[in-house]
Formats: sequence, C-alpha cells, structure tokens
Amino acid sequence: MTGQKPPNEPRGEDGPPPPDTGMGMTAVSYLLGGMLVWGGIGWLVDHWVGTRGIFAGIGAVVGIGGGVYLIVRRLGA
Amino acid sequence: MTGQSIVLAADVPFPPSVEDFYLPSILPWDAHDSYWVTKITVLLWLAVAVLIVYFLVSYRKPQLVPTKRQWIAESIYGFVRNNISIEMIGPRGVQFAPYLTTLFCFILLMNFFGIVPFLQISPNSHIAFPAILAVISYVMFIYIGSRHHGGFLKYMRFALVPPAPWFILPLLIPIEFFSTFLVRPFSLAVRLFANMFAGHMLLLVFTLGGFAMISANAWFIPFSIISWVLTIALTFLEFLVICLQAYVFTVLTASYVQGAIADEH
Repeated sequence: MTGQKPPNEPRGEDGPPPPDTGMGMTAVSYLLGGMLVWGGIGWLVDHWVGTRGIFAGIGAVVGIGGGVYLIVRRLGA
Repeated sequence: MTGQSIVLAADVPFPPSVEDFYLPSILPWDAHDSYWVTKITVLLWLAVAVLIVYFLVSYRKPQLVPTKRQWIAESIYGFVRNNISIEMIGPRGVQFAPYLTTLFCFILLMNFFGIVPFLQISPNSHIAFPAILAVISYVMFIYIGSRHHGGFLKYMRFALVPPAPWFILPLLIPIEFFSTFLVRPFSLAVRLFANMFAGHMLLLVFTLGGFAMISANAWFIPFSIISWVLTIALTFLEFLVICLQAYVFTVLTASYVQGAIADEH
C-alpha cells in the first residue's frame, strides 16, 4: 500500500476538509456534554437553594438545547 | 513468568476479581508489594522491543521490489498513512503519519498480548498505559492547535468560542470546554482500558468457570466443555475488539489533531 502514492495535492495547503473527520463522535459529545454540564450546574444550584431537582432538570434541557445549537453551528453546512 | 499463570484445577479462585490483574512481582520473585518488574511491565518492554526491532530489521536494506517482511511493514505504514492520516486530516496528514503509525502498532501489539497463549493479559488492561497514551494525544493536539493558531490563548479562543451571538456564549462555552478538554482524554483512555479489561475478565470467567464447575460436580463436565469452547470463540471475538480499539484510538487522535488545525468555517 505504500506503493500507492498519497493523494496528489501539495502538502501543507488547505484543501477542502476531508469528508469524515469524526463528526459523529463530536456530535455525541456535544449532546452528552451539554446535558451533563448544565445538568450538573443545575444540580449544584439545587443543593445550594435546597430544591429537589428542578434546576437539574431545567439545566439538562437547556444544556441539550445548547448542544444541539453547537452541533448546528459547528457541524452543520 | 508463565509458571505464575498456570492454575491448578484443584483450587480455582472463582469468580475472578480485579486482584487477578495484579500479577505477583517477578523481580524480586513472588513479592506482593513490589510492582516494578511484573508480567505487565515485561510485556510493555517486549512490545517496545518487538516494534523497534521489527521495523528496523524490515527496513534495513529497503529494496525496490520489497521482500515479504518489508512489504508487511510498508503495508502497515501505508494503511495508517492513507486510510487514517490523510483520510482524517487531509493532505497535511502525511506529517502525522509516523506518530499515528507508531501509536497504532503499539496499541495493537499491546492489546494483542491479551490473546497470545501464555501471555494472555494486555498491559492496556491497566488504566495507567491507556491514560499515558491519551495524555500524549491530548498534549499533542493542544500544542499543534496552539502552533497553528499562533498561541495558546488564540487556540483556546478558536476552540471555545463558537460562531454565535454573544448572549448565548455563556451557555455554549462550558459545553465546548467540557466536550473538548475534559471528555476527550478521559474517553480515549477509558475506552481502551475498559475494552481490554472486560475482554480479559470475560475470558477469565469462562476459563475458570469451566474449572469451577468440574471441581464442583462431575456431572457438570459437559457444561465445562461448552464453557471452554466458548472461551475459544470469545478469543476470536477478542481479536476483533483488539484491532478495532487500536484503530479507534488512532482515528480519534487523528480527528482531534484535525480539529485543532482546522480553520474557521
């Protein structure tokens, strides 16, 4: 396989981005990340205020919204 | 080394536990408080030595019409260069191909020790080794990103601040930070470690389970045999996991590097 030449574009130039650059993993990590970060912050707020999980719930929903927004901005066309 | 891994059917410890991953020390022999020279570290050195010697020997006198050994070594490099580096990073991927090939071969060989008879444990089933590999990838993509964007702070700005209106940024920046700088090294290390750990544990359960059933009751012999046959089948499954995890680790490292040197779009 080394016999094959690497694709004939000059090195170091910024060609079009390669087709698949782990977008799936990035998308999943944004979704989970959004939920965990803001859910976690909400959970801390719950502890601080003394409520029983309402802020964690709100946080998770807001976070997943943020995750979706990030996916659209970063990975969308 | 092999003497320690042979268990007698008489007193089989069952079920296997995490303790089974902490093999007794080789030097000093059978000490339980010294972990400097154990089967794990010996296998680590073996992996390093095998890779260095193999690639040096097979490329010692490179020929235009390659010998078989040279052809295999070139195929491995060519595979990583064309199918991982260039595929993921683009034309500039060529300059990362040597590191990615080393990484791929190292992980593949270390994992493969998990199913080699008499070795039968992968150093990667201790989280220390995947963790160090993940730290290398982590430092590497941050360094490359900093160099590409002209400074650590500029790279951080590129990585953390998405193109979005200002009032939504406080919501997004923690998510970006979490998914880029916390989840990545953690998931790299844990994915490899957990796969190797679980694979070893699975084989232990089926092998030792066979012995345990035999020593419990002679009527269980058929089930023991089924259990051992399944061990063989699971070994093949394990081979699949071994190759896949080495590939995944390399591909994700390449993908992180690509993310670091991408330009705004």
